[in-house]
Parts: sequence; structure tokens; C-alpha cells
Amino acid sequence: MTLIRCDKLTRVYQGGVEEIRPLDELDLAIDRGQFVALMGPSGSGKTTLLNLLAGIDRPTSGRLVIDDQSIGELSRNELAAWRADHVGYVFQLYNLVPVLNAYENVELPLLLKPMSQRERHERVSAALEVVGIADRHAHYPRQLSGGQEQRVAIARAIVTEPTLLLADEPTGDLDKASATAVMELLKRLNQEQGRTIVMVTHDTTTAEYADLLLHLEKGRLLEKEEAST
Amino acid sequence: MMLRTIPLVLKQITRSPIRSGLTVGGIAIAMFLFCFVEAMRDGVGEATNASAEDATLIVYRQNRYCPFTSKLPQYYGDRIEEIEGVTSAVPVQITVTNCRASLDVVTFRGVPVGELEDVLEPGWRIADGSLAEWRTRGDGALIGEAMANRRGIGVGDRFSAAGITVYVAAILESDAAQDRNVSYVQLPFLQETLKTGGTGGVVTQFSVRVDDPLVMEEVARAIDSEFRYDEHPTSTSSEKAFVGRAARDIIEIVGFATWLGWGALVTVFALVANAIVLAMRDRIRDHAVLQTLGFTGGLIGFMVVFEGAVLGIVGGGIGTLAAWGIARVGHFSMTMGGTNIEISSNPMLLVLGIALAVALGILAGVVPAWRVSRREIAHSFRTV
Ligand SMILES: Nc1ncnc2c1ncn2[C@@H]1O[C@H](COP(=O)(O)OP(=O)(O)O)[C@@H](O)[C@H]1O
Ligand SMILES: [Mg+2]
Repeated sequence: MTLIRCDKLTRVYQGGVEEIRPLDELDLAIDRGQFVALMGPSGSGKTTLLNLLAGIDRPTSGRLVIDDQSIGELSRNELAAWRADHVGYVFQLYNLVPVLNAYENVELPLLLKPMSQRERHERVSAALEVVGIADRHAHYPRQLSGGQEQRVAIARAIVTEPTLLLADEPTGDLDKASATAVMELLKRLNQEQGRTIVMVTHDTTTAEYADLLLHLEKGRLLEKEEAST
Repeated sequence: MMLRTIPLVLKQITRSPIRSGLTVGGIAIAMFLFCFVEAMRDGVGEATNASAEDATLIVYRQNRYCPFTSKLPQYYGDRIEEIEGVTSAVPVQITVTNCRASLDVVTFRGVPVGELEDVLEPGWRIADGSLAEWRTRGDGALIGEAMANRRGIGVGDRFSAAGITVYVAAILESDAAQDRNVSYVQLPFLQETLKTGGTGGVVTQFSVRVDDPLVMEEVARAIDSEFRYDEHPTSTSSEKAFVGRAARDIIEIVGFATWLGWGALVTVFALVANAIVLAMRDRIRDHAVLQTLGFTGGLIGFMVVFEGAVLGIVGGGIGTLAAWGIARVGHFSMTMGGTNIEISSNPMLLVLGIALAVALGILAGVVPAWRVSRREIAHSFRTV
């Protein structure tokens, strides 16, 4: 069952005199429940594609349909609401809010939901439990290691139970042990909770956790290969 | 939704205590200044703005501005009382510790024992002690409550100033700034002490009641023309106008201080704007994260404006309360030429100060909020 469909998806930036075309008429379909690794050299448009999938950027032309919703047709505010409901985003540099502790960071996206404080508390606790960081809930980002920060960030991304989990080089800044822990966690989320994950990486070991590898180059898909599982 | 972001904003503020503290402190100081200036302006307004019920004229020696130099024969009183429209003309001897503009000057007003009620502004009452005692004791003094509070004196005390020692017989409460800040003594006592008197002596001024406030100016002109070719020509004006003339230096200074007050408001605006602009720069990433999570630009804009309002209300609240509290406890009065201008502690100043600080805080947040709410998320992430 197709969750994401890109038709001739194009993103053009006006970079000074010449225009930059990080995504050039990209066609792509991703099924619900898939774990996709997006690979490619630096500047090949991976982040640009992920941002379009996340609804934090808009296509210049082409069509992007996620869960039967055509993203280009949504207004700014509709898109914000759509993101709150459908997307969890994990950044390379975690991007936790520094003045909020782990618990409060995870609670952030729930503030937008019609939910009682008690309900929020249950959800946040459960998410922190899943990522194995419940004992650090009162710690501020600066008091956590990189791996712990990333796990809090993952908890924040899944606490709303989004349709789609996106991760932009989630292990790019982590040591090997932390990276393994984060990848095990993502794999578990995919397998146990059935979350659809699209992850950017340029590390082949990391990519092995996925069940579909996509290679992007100069804004186009090179090849598609089923990972050996 | 908006309400749920309020704790978030408060955390932003309280969890960077140094930055917030500096901003709030600056706002507090500026609002303190503003409110103090406003308190002085309020006092000037109260002492000099004529109201429709005013029915008191002050007859002074022409071209004199200090109680030491204004000398009028006491018998003028009888001639003034014959002028049409005049209800009463009470001779008043005034002596002060200092004629120039200054704080905490003691003013003695000597009035004939039987005519005190004609001099006091209507609406007065005795807060403590007794008027009977004032009437019977030659050295008795009826002290205005503001002056009594300022000096810490009560009924039964003896107190001296300007070479005069009096016995405090009663404390006077009044709505009129002048009466709250002077010490009434018996006219013969004051004349005796000052050795200017004797029978048919000399007084500083006459306090004249007219029977109809509408004819004030006519009566004033009639009085001045009565004595125009006399040895001691007079200058007559309403009490408020008289204060405006006698205390002109103070009024000028306060007028100038008004600019200071405006400057303080500009400072508040600049402080909040600066704090917010800096915070916005620091939080480009945080805001992009919030937007990614689904916060709308409008909601983030609201958070920014609300932050400005909180800084304004806290800083403004502290500064305004401090200024108001000091004015209230201190009962300050600026005195010049025997007239008093209080530094007001009207509760409306609290409301005005805090409301202005909040308004400025909101105003300072509006433009940054608008800009933040329109940022493109993907672009924000690339710029940090
Ligand atoms: N907002 C932007 N303005 C101009 N150029 C951009 C912008 N965003 C991305 N680009 C350009 O698009 C290209 C692809 O960027 P990106 O998607 O970040 O690549 P990747 O993530 O694969 O390294 C790069 O050349 C980058 O400089
Ligand atoms: Mg990238």
C-alpha cells in the first residue's frame, strides 16, 4: 500500500544568478511500513527531499501525495496542522530546545493536541520508556550525551504517533556505540510499531538497517535496491 | 492552544535568568523614573489646575513672590470685604524656612483665630487632636497630615522651624495639597514672634472667598483697582494661579522632567525590543523546530509578543510600585514661595505605569513576532 508518491517532484532555488535544482523531476513511491534509507553524495538533494516529505518545504513543481493528501494544495496553517498530525522529524543535531528538559521537549508536540495534561503525561512517559531514557526525563539537553539527546529527539518525533518518521543523518554526529543504539531503536520502531521511516544517511552500515535503499544523485533517483535482510 | 504555550514562554524567560534579569531591571529603573516624573506632574496639576468649584483668591503684594517680601497692611482686609462678591477676607501671615524651590520646607500660616474656617479649603477634617485646643493655646499649631507624616510629628509634640516653636494641637486632613502641607498658627502669635506685628500689623497675603466662582476674575480685578494708587498695590489671582506663579521654578523643572519621562518610555521600548531581537536571533533554530512540530507562525508570533508583555509587566510592575510606594511613604512635597506641590501617590499612577509598560512590551514584540511568524522553516535550518 503506497503511503508516499512523488510525481516529477522538483525543487528549484534561486541561488544568485543561476538557479539550483536539488530535486529534478523525481518519481518515487514508498509503501506504508517501509524503512527506507536515502543515500547519495553531499549536495545531491537528500535533505531537500526529506524537507518536502516533512511538509516544511514546498515543491516548485510536480506532485507530492502523502497518505492521500496532496501536500502542495495545503495553506501554510493547514500544512502546520498536517505536520503535527503526520510527521515526526529527527535531525542530525538533535535540535532539542535547550531551555526545556527532556520531558518538556518530548511534550512539545502534544501541546498542539486536544489532550489533558494527564493524557500528555502518559504519552510522554511511554515515549521516554520506548527510547530507554525515562530515568533522565528531568535532564536538560546540555546534561545529556549526544546519543541520549538523539533518543530524546526520537521520543519527541514518535510521541504523536505520526504516519511518517523522517530522519536526516540521525547518527551523523554520534560515536559508534550510540549510533548502533539509535539504529536498533529505529529498527524496533519500524518492526514493532510498523512505523514508516525515511532516513537519510551516507553511512553504509547505518543503511543496512533499512529494507529499501535509494540512491540520489543530482536530484534524481539512481537505482533502487532491496536490502538484504 | 495559546494558553498552553504560556508556560513555555515563562520557561524561556525564567531559565535565562541573567538576560531576563538585566532586561527586567532596566525596565524597572526606567519605569521608576517615568512614574516619579508622572507623580510630580500629577502634583503640579493638582496644585495648579483650576477647577469649577474654586472660590478662593489670594491677594499678594504686587511684584513680590516670596512671603518674606510680600507685606500688606492688615486693615486692607476690611476694605476687601466691602467689595461686592467677597464673602470673607482673612489676613494670613506666612513664614517659611526657605523661600526657594526645595523639598521639605516648613510653612507657617498665621490666621486670626476666629477665621480659620474661612481659609481652609472645604472638605477638611481634624484627624487627631482638637481644634478647641488650637484656639485656646497661643502657640498651638494645626499641622497638615502630609507634613506631619513627613516630619513624624503628632499631637502633643513641640516642634520648631524657622525660629518658631509651636505646640502641635491637631492634625488636619484635607483634599487640598496646600492645606495638607502647612502648619496653621494663630496670626498674633506669628506676628509677635516675627516682630512684624502689633495691632493693625502687617500680613503677607489675604485669603479671599468669593460667593460665586463665576465672578472670581471680576472680584480679583476689583480688589487690585481698589489698591492701585495705594502705597502697597496688590496682585490678586485664584489660589491655583497663585501657586502656578509662586512655584514657577518647580513647574518649569517638572515640565522639563516630562522629557525625561518620555525618554524613560523610549528606554523601556528599546530594552524590550533589544531583548527580543537578540532572543529571536538565538532561537532561530528553536522556532524552526517548533514549526516543524506543527506550531503555526501565528502561534509562535503570539509567544514572542507575550514574552514582551511579560517583560513589560514584571519590569514595569517593579519600577512603578517602587516609585509609587516611595511617594506614598515619603509624602514628598516640593515647596517654593510658601506654596506646596506634592509628589502624588495617586493609585492611578500604578495603573498608568503598568499599563504603559505592558503596552510598550507588546509593541516592542510585534515587529519581531511578525517577522518570526513568516520565516521559512527549511531556510531557518540552513542559516544556523
Ligand atoms: N534554501 C536554499 N537556497 C539555495 N540553495 C539551496 C537551499 N537549500 C539547498 N540548497 C542547495 O541544494 C543542494 C542540495 O542540498 P541538500 O538537499 O541539503 O543536499 P544533501 O542533503 O544531499 O547534502 C545544495 O547544492 C544546496 O546548496
Ligand atoms: Mg543534508
